[in-house]
Amino acid sequence: MTAEAQRRRAFWHILLFAAGLVVLTVISAGSVYLVNKARDDSKWVLHTIEVENQVNTLLLEVRRAESSARGFLLTQGPDFQADHERAIAAIIPALDKLTRQIGDSPAQRDSVEKLSAAIEVRLGQFAREMDFVKQGQLDNAKALVREAAAGNTTTTISNLANAMIREEERLFRLRSANADRSQTLAASLTGIGSGLVVVLALISIWLLRRSARMRDEAETRLRDAYANLEALVDERTADLREANNEIQRFAYIVSHDLRSPLVNIMGFTSELEELGGDIFRRVSSLTHVPADGPPLPSGEIALEGPDKQLSEDFSEALGFIKSSIAKMDRLISAILNLTREGRREFQPEKIDIREFVEAIVSTLAHQAVEAQAEIHVEPLPDIVSDRLALEQIFSNLIDNAIKYLKNGVPGEIRIRGRTKLGYAIFEISDNGRGIDARDHQRIFDLFRRAGTQDKPGQGIGLAHVRALVRRLGGTMSVSSELNAGSTFTITLPVAWNATTRKTDR
Amino acid sequence: MTQPVTIIMIEDDEGHARLIERNIRRSGVNNEIISFANGTDAMKHLFGADGSGLPQKGNALLILLDLNLPDMSGIDILKQIKENRYLKASPVVVLTTTDDSQEIKRCYELGCNVYITKPVNYENFANAIRQLGLFFSVIQVPPAAP
Repeated sequence: MTAEAQRRRAFWHILLFAAGLVVLTVISAGSVYLVNKARDDSKWVLHTIEVENQVNTLLLEVRRAESSARGFLLTQGPDFQADHERAIAAIIPALDKLTRQIGDSPAQRDSVEKLSAAIEVRLGQFAREMDFVKQGQLDNAKALVREAAAGNTTTTISNLANAMIREEERLFRLRSANADRSQTLAASLTGIGSGLVVVLALISIWLLRRSARMRDEAETRLRDAYANLEALVDERTADLREANNEIQRFAYIVSHDLRSPLVNIMGFTSELEELGGDIFRRVSSLTHVPADGPPLPSGEIALEGPDKQLSEDFSEALGFIKSSIAKMDRLISAILNLTREGRREFQPEKIDIREFVEAIVSTLAHQAVEAQAEIHVEPLPDIVSDRLALEQIFSNLIDNAIKYLKNGVPGEIRIRGRTKLGYAIFEISDNGRGIDARDHQRIFDLFRRAGTQDKPGQGIGLAHVRALVRRLGGTMSVSSELNAGSTFTITLPVAWNATTRKTDR
Repeated sequence: MTQPVTIIMIEDDEGHARLIERNIRRSGVNNEIISFANGTDAMKHLFGADGSGLPQKGNALLILLDLNLPDMSGIDILKQIKENRYLKASPVVVLTTTDDSQEIKRCYELGCNVYITKPVNYENFANAIRQLGLFFSVIQVPPAAP
């Protein structure tokens, strides 16, 4: 999957999340607002009912006052009088309450003013009526009642009250409708919001599933690639191993078969040397027959002039041939040994490296003393590896360190070790003559050497050491500067397992 | 009873054969040397036409054997010699160009008496042959098998 597609998907995820958040916020705010509004509307509806109620209460009290006044007029009973007084007493507070309640509506305020005026008139009539009855002027009282009936005061009151109730009923309908609308709105808002959230959730789930599927596919592809890679690596490893074995066999056969003619060359050169000796002895005996005295002791050749020159040339030629043969023999032996090392099966075993290195150092003690070198062995980690191979590695490196010290400078050779991530790292450092940076690769090549060639050697040691280190599953490197000492670093697995690099032959 | 030892040399390289012979002679060993340049001829001589080894019964032999022969492996010859009732008592000197420890071990396991790596330095070889000369002089003829 491309990075572009990944970015786009992440963008969509964020967008979805943001949209969800916005929807939720809007729904919450809207719901809170609408619920508040609905509560408000309900309050108003309730208020309307209360006002209606109050109007009815007022009307009831007026009627009660009227009927009790009439009762009193008819019977002059104190019960009616008390009842009337209670009703009268209730009217004014009821009216006040109503006035307070309808403060919100100007139309109702007008009605209330008219109503209270009418009630005041009626209350005045009541007072006069009651006074007449109390004073026994019943006729006057009756006349007043008739007058009141003619003046239609009560009807006016009840008309006004009914008008108010009708107004309140209108308000009630209006406010109920409002409350209904608010509630419907709240419900639809919640419904729509929930729907949106569900839709967003579904989209999210879809996106998630899609990305999970893509991840699974990618994983499968990765696994396949891994399997392929492993097969490829196995194949290549087998090829390389085959090639390596081929080279080993080739080197072995070549060096082995080269040795055969060399045996003849060396053997017959020796024969020639013997022959040459015989010939020149004969020449000498022929040219130097002493007239008197004893013959020359056999084996001694006394030649003069050109004969001596010939004999010397002959010896010199043979000398060159023999030294070249000896060199060639050493080189062939070296190749043979290297190929043999390449074919030897390693035996991994646990080795106390410090003890092991100290044993090697003690065998090199004589050379170290001769070279005025001190060898310090620091604590070294133990590893599992092949003893013989390690011996060759360490003795070669320490031997080199002793061999290539600076003339006249006391040598100091240090062997250090540490472990890191399953590997043991050993460092063999010296204060010797060092190696020029351009020779760092060369010194590991077979038969190649660097620096002043004042020490005996074939140029085999380091090539051999590196081959061994590699076979032991490790690596090897050098860091050095000319005249500033060298440090050879070997990295070997702490627990080497022969099966990890089995040579299949 | 002593009997002159016959040296059987099985060596395909003529030069090597010549050098070995010369060095043997030079070190003062004058026994008869019979050379074979391949395994087949040598086997025919040692084991006879029927392969029983009867022709060599009672003969004192010393066998110089090269391991790298064109027609067969010296190891096989060594094995057959050491398995043959008439020949198994004859000393065998293996001469070869390799000094492979596995090969040396195998030869000694099969019963070879001396293993000599063909030297490039013939002075050392001459010494070795001289010592072998001493060895030759004490060779006892194996008791005749019934």
